[in-house]
Amino acid sequence: MKSLKIKQLIEKIEGEAELDFTFHEGKIEDVKINFGFYRGIEEILQGKDARDALVITPRVCGICNHAHLLSAVRAIENGYENAGHKIELTSKAKDIREFTLACELIQNHIKWLYMTILPQLESYLDSKSEENYAIKATYLSSTITKALAIFAGQWPHSSYAVPGGVTCDPTHLDVMQAQSLVDESIKFFEQVVTELPLDEYLNIEFCADLHHVGGDFGKLLHLIGSSGMSEIGRSHDRFIVFGDCMLSPSGKSIVTKIANVDSKYVKESAQKGTVAKAVMYKERLYEVGPLARGMVGKRTIVKNLHKRYKDSLLTRVFARVHEVATLLDHAKTLLKNLNLEESSCTLDPHMLLQDFEGTGIVEAARGSLIHKTTVKDGLIVNYEIITPTQWNLSHGNDDEQGIAVEAMKGSKNIEEATFIFRTFDVCSVCTTQ
Amino acid sequence: MEKPHLLWLQSITCNGNTHSFLNHPDLFSILSHYNIVHHPALDGSHSFDDVLKDDVPCDVLILEGSFIEKGFLKGGVEVSFILEKYAKKAKYIITAGTCATFGGVFKQKDPSNISGFCFDLEEKSIRYDAYASKLISLPGCPVHPKWLSYVLLMLANGKQIPIDNLHRPTELFGYTVHNGCTRNEYFEWKIDADNYGLKEGCLFYAQGCQGPYTRGSCNKILWNDISSKTRAGTPCFGCTEASFPQTSLFQTKTNMGIPAKMPLGIPKRAYLSLTGVTKSFKIKRFSTRLLEYDK
Amino acid sequence: MKIAEKKALKRESIIQAALQLFATNGFHRTTIPDIAIKLQMSVGNLYNYFSSKDILAQEIIRYTSEVLGEKIREVNDTDASAQEKIKQIVTVYFTMAKEKPEMIEYFLRVYLSNREVFSDGCEGMVCVSGFITEIMVFFDENVSSGELRNQDFFSAFGLFMGYLGGMVFLKGEEVLPKEIEYYIEDISRNIYNALKA
Repeated sequence: MKSLKIKQLIEKIEGEAELDFTFHEGKIEDVKINFGFYRGIEEILQGKDARDALVITPRVCGICNHAHLLSAVRAIENGYENAGHKIELTSKAKDIREFTLACELIQNHIKWLYMTILPQLESYLDSKSEENYAIKATYLSSTITKALAIFAGQWPHSSYAVPGGVTCDPTHLDVMQAQSLVDESIKFFEQVVTELPLDEYLNIEFCADLHHVGGDFGKLLHLIGSSGMSEIGRSHDRFIVFGDCMLSPSGKSIVTKIANVDSKYVKESAQKGTVAKAVMYKERLYEVGPLARGMVGKRTIVKNLHKRYKDSLLTRVFARVHEVATLLDHAKTLLKNLNLEESSCTLDPHMLLQDFEGTGIVEAARGSLIHKTTVKDGLIVNYEIITPTQWNLSHGNDDEQGIAVEAMKGSKNIEEATFIFRTFDVCSVCTTQ
Repeated sequence: MEKPHLLWLQSITCNGNTHSFLNHPDLFSILSHYNIVHHPALDGSHSFDDVLKDDVPCDVLILEGSFIEKGFLKGGVEVSFILEKYAKKAKYIITAGTCATFGGVFKQKDPSNISGFCFDLEEKSIRYDAYASKLISLPGCPVHPKWLSYVLLMLANGKQIPIDNLHRPTELFGYTVHNGCTRNEYFEWKIDADNYGLKEGCLFYAQGCQGPYTRGSCNKILWNDISSKTRAGTPCFGCTEASFPQTSLFQTKTNMGIPAKMPLGIPKRAYLSLTGVTKSFKIKRFSTRLLEYDK
Repeated sequence: MKIAEKKALKRESIIQAALQLFATNGFHRTTIPDIAIKLQMSVGNLYNYFSSKDILAQEIIRYTSEVLGEKIREVNDTDASAQEKIKQIVTVYFTMAKEKPEMIEYFLRVYLSNREVFSDGCEGMVCVSGFITEIMVFFDENVSSGELRNQDFFSAFGLFMGYLGGMVFLKGEEVLPKEIEYYIEDISRNIYNALKA
């Protein structure tokens, strides 16, 4: 039987992508993922002042801009340290940065749940509800980004993290406002997303107890289960996390075996037919993102789901929504313990190193985000950005197919395959920086 | 009367304007005045494929992203072709964000080919004459959600929007970012901030703040309804201006300590006369931490 | 002549007379009656113009600073190079020291030596802003044009004005072997070499 090629334009991801499916004997054999326009942020940064990256790199992505800011500032701070100038952040600055990043992740996951996964699944299963999911998405995302903006001034596109700390100097009143907004978000999560008190939800350890989850998340899990989709969308079952963070330490997980990682073994390479670069760790492909963090971070319920369903669509979808609960809980704790007496920024503003090389890693919504900066005479001579979507969507090599391609392989129809594709929370703008 | 048809199209972008607008607290009440034909994230009556292949309705066109004539294809069609097709059809065109308005950050990749839709920086592009009569510019990186809602509601209510020479609504861009900045007192007395991360001090003298000469109402109509860059201690980077982004954004360019760029419309002599006077006084309140002064 | 104009002229003549007396006899040894006598006006009338000797002293420094500032502004408004402008400013300063020595003398011997008189109302640069503003404009424009090196304002200002003040002081002490114009060329070159980009 001859192979059949079909081109499909995918919209309502972050930007658009074109998928070229190759069918063989009625099943998908290969998928070429093409993204639009290469925007050249790395080139734009060359010749600019080292700190300009804090303003330019958030503009890589409208939805994970804050993660770019934090990677950029860590790259500079790491560069200072490599050049022998130790930077000691106060716990206040660290906690505020962690809080604002948590807010961005929550915003992202909630938009993905309500504006991508639920409506797309319903339309794929032909069970479209009359619900305005977008209003739920924007309600929670605007509430939590408002909490973010109390510290960062605005979202999207804040540049409030600077080498040595943060620019804000919050009062207790600010913190209280942020607390109210987090409480409001938790209430929404409890009443609308899971119909369970947050602590009860977080105590769920076993798959058998997941039927307690109600709300829209319960509905989503039920839809996936009842349509026989729990087992599909499996990939290489290899995960990697580079950014030590609230959700997970860094490490890699291969069939539940956890090992340390070092970002120096990360290699980018050009791919034919797309402006997106592929990325590998020691010549192997890894999945990044919430599922990876759940596995490397040994989150009980994620591990138990994985035991039963492996790295299937269900486990992947679950891990992402589950992070919202973990993050909300963590955000609340961060605010409660915030010590306003400490300095916001500890680096002397006149302390400007002229020559350094640094790497900044952050766990963004979609996984590990890496920035590398090389600075000479105060100016950027080279800047590299490796985004999470590059890990998940690279086409693969001669030995094996890419993470998302592998997950779509074997599917019998395009609708199912594109739904699997969306479970990776695809961001085309990040991939074509 | 049928509601006007709203079409949101993207060119070279980061989606930041899309996400900024989704933060609007009254998003759905604003959109209820329109039939949404297509939007990058929200449901619309037509798919993107329809937009590409058919001729979908379009009364108000929102453009996001920098413009390039050739070399950016979606679904095999030049994006410039799609934009122009609907720009011709639209009764109003809103360029949302600095990219669509002036070229923005992405222009710097290929300055001779990438621009805004009707302006290339502040110069009129070859498309200007064709669309000038229906053009509204909303620069900002990203566009402020309330600025966009102002325009959408004014249009929905059939009101004339007063605009300036670059087609920016004067009610939004007649202000500078400095206007309403909570650090104004420190600006008046020329007290600079000793470091980042302090409530006290003005960021115009050393930290690179462009607020006094950047048009935009960021400190009047707050971001996320709660704050702004300068309120969070971050300098304004002039993101609403055609020149955005300039270089050395965290450092004020000075000539022998004198800021090289003056607050909007202020003659240098006038500014310097005031500086000499204010700098002559050592005012205790301004050298004391705000929360310590009356203790 | 209108009354207001007449008053303005009278006011200026008081300033001129006081300036001379303060500069030659010293601030403390000069009294308001001395000034009135020199102008052939009554003490009471003089007080109508200036309510105290301290206020008169402050007005004088403001006046001289504006006269000097006005002359430097003329230099700033030309298209000359930074090097040429430095020479013109030096010339303006030395010419004034020669033709109206009382002005510079006043600045050096009264204003700088009797700070208590000026502490309330003439803090810092308040009363000399007419002059300081023009020096700022000069620095700003010529750094901006790339002719002068960008540096801290006071390190440049001190070099320029300290130098000129020092020369005028030496002239006043009559230790300069030559007329002050003789030094314009060299001093201008020295200042330019020190400040150029």
